[in-house]
Order: sequence, then C-alpha cells, then structure tokens
Amino acid sequence: MRVMRVLVLRTLKTWIMDCRDFRDQHLAFVDDTLPGVELVRMQMHLTECEECARHDATIRRSLMLFRNLPRIEPSPDFSKNLERKLQEAKLLDMAAARSSRTRRLGAAVTFSSVVMLAYIGFSLRQVDTPQDLTLPPVVAIAPTSEMASASPAPEMVAAVSLGLPLWTAAFYAEQTPVHFASIELTSAR
Amino acid sequence: MATIARKQTVAVQPQGANVREQLRAMDDSGVVTAFLSGEERAFSELVDRYQTRLLNFIYRTIGDREKAEDLVQEVFIRVYRHLHRFDRSKKFSTWAYTIASNLAKNELRNRSRNPLVLFQAVQKNWQEDDRPLQFEDSSSRPDDMYRKRHLRELVEESVAKLPEHHRHVFVLRELEGKSYEEIAEITDCNLGTVKSRLNRARNSFAEIVAPYMD
Repeated sequence: MRVMRVLVLRTLKTWIMDCRDFRDQHLAFVDDTLPGVELVRMQMHLTECEECARHDATIRRSLMLFRNLPRIEPSPDFSKNLERKLQEAKLLDMAAARSSRTRRLGAAVTFSSVVMLAYIGFSLRQVDTPQDLTLPPVVAIAPTSEMASASPAPEMVAAVSLGLPLWTAAFYAEQTPVHFASIELTSAR
Repeated sequence: MATIARKQTVAVQPQGANVREQLRAMDDSGVVTAFLSGEERAFSELVDRYQTRLLNFIYRTIGDREKAEDLVQEVFIRVYRHLHRFDRSKKFSTWAYTIASNLAKNELRNRSRNPLVLFQAVQKNWQEDDRPLQFEDSSSRPDDMYRKRHLRELVEESVAKLPEHHRHVFVLRELEGKSYEEIAEITDCNLGTVKSRLNRARNSFAEIVAPYMD
C-alpha cells in the first residue's frame, strides 16, 4: 500500500507542474522547442491554471500583433544612393591605398635614417669613450741627469784642446768652402 | 597556373544574359564566392536579398526610417569593403546582421548622448509619410481602419519602450525569425543571456500591449 502511494506521488510529481516552472519554460513552449514530455506537462498545466493560460494567450496575441506589423520597403532612390556611396567608398579606398603606400615608404625612409643616425652616434660614442686600454708594463728607468744633455759638443771640446777660441773655429768652419773656391778661381786665371 | 585560375574565374563568372538568374539560384555562399571571383553583379544580388530584411530590422530597432535606410547603405558599403575578410565557414546573413546590429547600437548610443537627435527621430517616426498603407484594408470601415492604425502605432510605441538590448533580441527573433544561436552570435552574448532577454522582452511587451488588445 505504502509503495503504491509513493509511486503515485512520484508520478504526480513528474506530471504536475507549478506556475513557476511553467513561466520558466514558457519561452521554449512558445517557440515549440520543448521535448515531448515537457510539452505535455505544459499543456496539462494550461488546462489546470487559469492565470497561466491567460498569460500564455496574452503573450501569443501580442507576438502575433508584432509579427504582423507591415514590412517597410526601401525608398525608390535607395539603389541610386547606395551606388553613389559605393563609388565614393571605392575612391576613398583607392586614395587610402595610395597614401598608405606613400606612408609606408616614408616610414621606411625614416626608419632607415634613424637606424643610420643611431649607428653613427654609436660609433662616435665608441671613439669618444675611453676604453679599457692595455698599456705596456711600466719599466722603471733611472732619470737622465740634466748635466748629460748640457755636455759640450765634440767640436767645442776639440777647439778648446787646440787652444782656439770657439767663435774663431766656428768662423773658419763657415768660411772654409768660400775660401777654397776663391783659390780655385785665382789659379784658373 | 595562371591559366587554371582564369578558367576557374570564368566558371564562376557565367557569361550571357542569364547571369542574374544563375546568381539568384545560388545560395548566399555561392553568391559571395562569385563576387570574390570578380563578378560584380553578385553584389547586387546580395543587396536585393538583404536590403528589405536589414531595413526592417534596423527600422524596428531604432524607429527612424530615414536613418535606417542610411544605416542599411552603410552595412552594404562595409560588406563590399570587407567581404574578402569574411569567414566563409559561417553564414553570410549572420555576418550582415552583426554589422547591422552594431550600427544600430551605435546609432542608439549616439542618440542617447544627443537628445535633439532623439527628438527629431521621434518626430520623423510619426510623420504621415512613414505609415505604410498596406496595414489598412481598404474594404474596412473607416472606424476599423482608424482602430487598426491606432493599434499599429501602439505596437510600435510598445516596442520602442523596451530596453535597447531586449528590443534588439526581440526584433531579431520575432521579426527576422533568427535562431537563439544566431542571435547569440549577432549580439555577441551567450545563449543563456539571449533566452533570458527574449523572455523578459516578450513579457514586457505583452504587459504594455495587453490593455489595448481587448
């Protein structure tokens, strides 16, 4: 007996639908996209619930009104206007393509200039910036004395040892070629 | 190689007077392929197929007929310019609607920033010229005609009252018959969001219209 009761209740629960369920599924119900079982449940609910039946009728009638609104047609000059606008669009596209080509070329030139300038700048920076130089090892050398550089020339030493004053020796040294040349001229005559 | 390419182009580019008929028999993907192969007339075919649908979609979204025409033209200009970038594994219609949807959204955003534009648009929307006559049945009595016209205006007003993102989804589903998945793709939302927005939009719309329906 108990089992029978449970079964009946379960069956009733499966078939009986409350208003909330009905409203939730109403979209699919109107659009006929509900599976068979659900469709039957909805229809059963419609026969039982007056309020939902009214709601369903209102929705369907309002939709019918909207769907039956007259369709409007394009105006007679629609095609002419469209043709004109298409021509304009084509011209604009062509102009845009041309300017984009020019722009692309300009961008390429600018880019290469920037690269070149960057390269030049980098190179100059390389020259200016002191690098880590590898210098030869420092070799300690004894400083040469001041006296060594002030030592007299060998001619002066020779002149001093011969007893001649320095300026006379220098004079002779200057006059010697002239002197010999004049002797040669005299003998030739 | 060049010869093969030329032969393929010729195959896609049918010669003769019935080119248009051949294009008309193709599906969207075929027409797109023909256009990308150099058949300029294929673009006219795409315009023929979508101009009215896109116009109605944008018009119902923004509520201004003149602006809607401008935006549809803008959609086709974008399609013409970017068709070579279109992923042909997807539906052309979804792509075209996505462009239209974005343009409509931008228009509404601009309007919200400029109240003057909104005012002009609303004014235009209710001009006599904008009212399609086929909605009224000439055999009806004058009071019936008046009632119908009034109802039509009321429905249009009610749609305009919906929040922008709800209206968008609502129009795509109810007017254009798009699937939830397509709407999700067009509006760049997930499926759950689309369903929830559509459900809310339907309920709000019904609530606004209900008092006038009886």
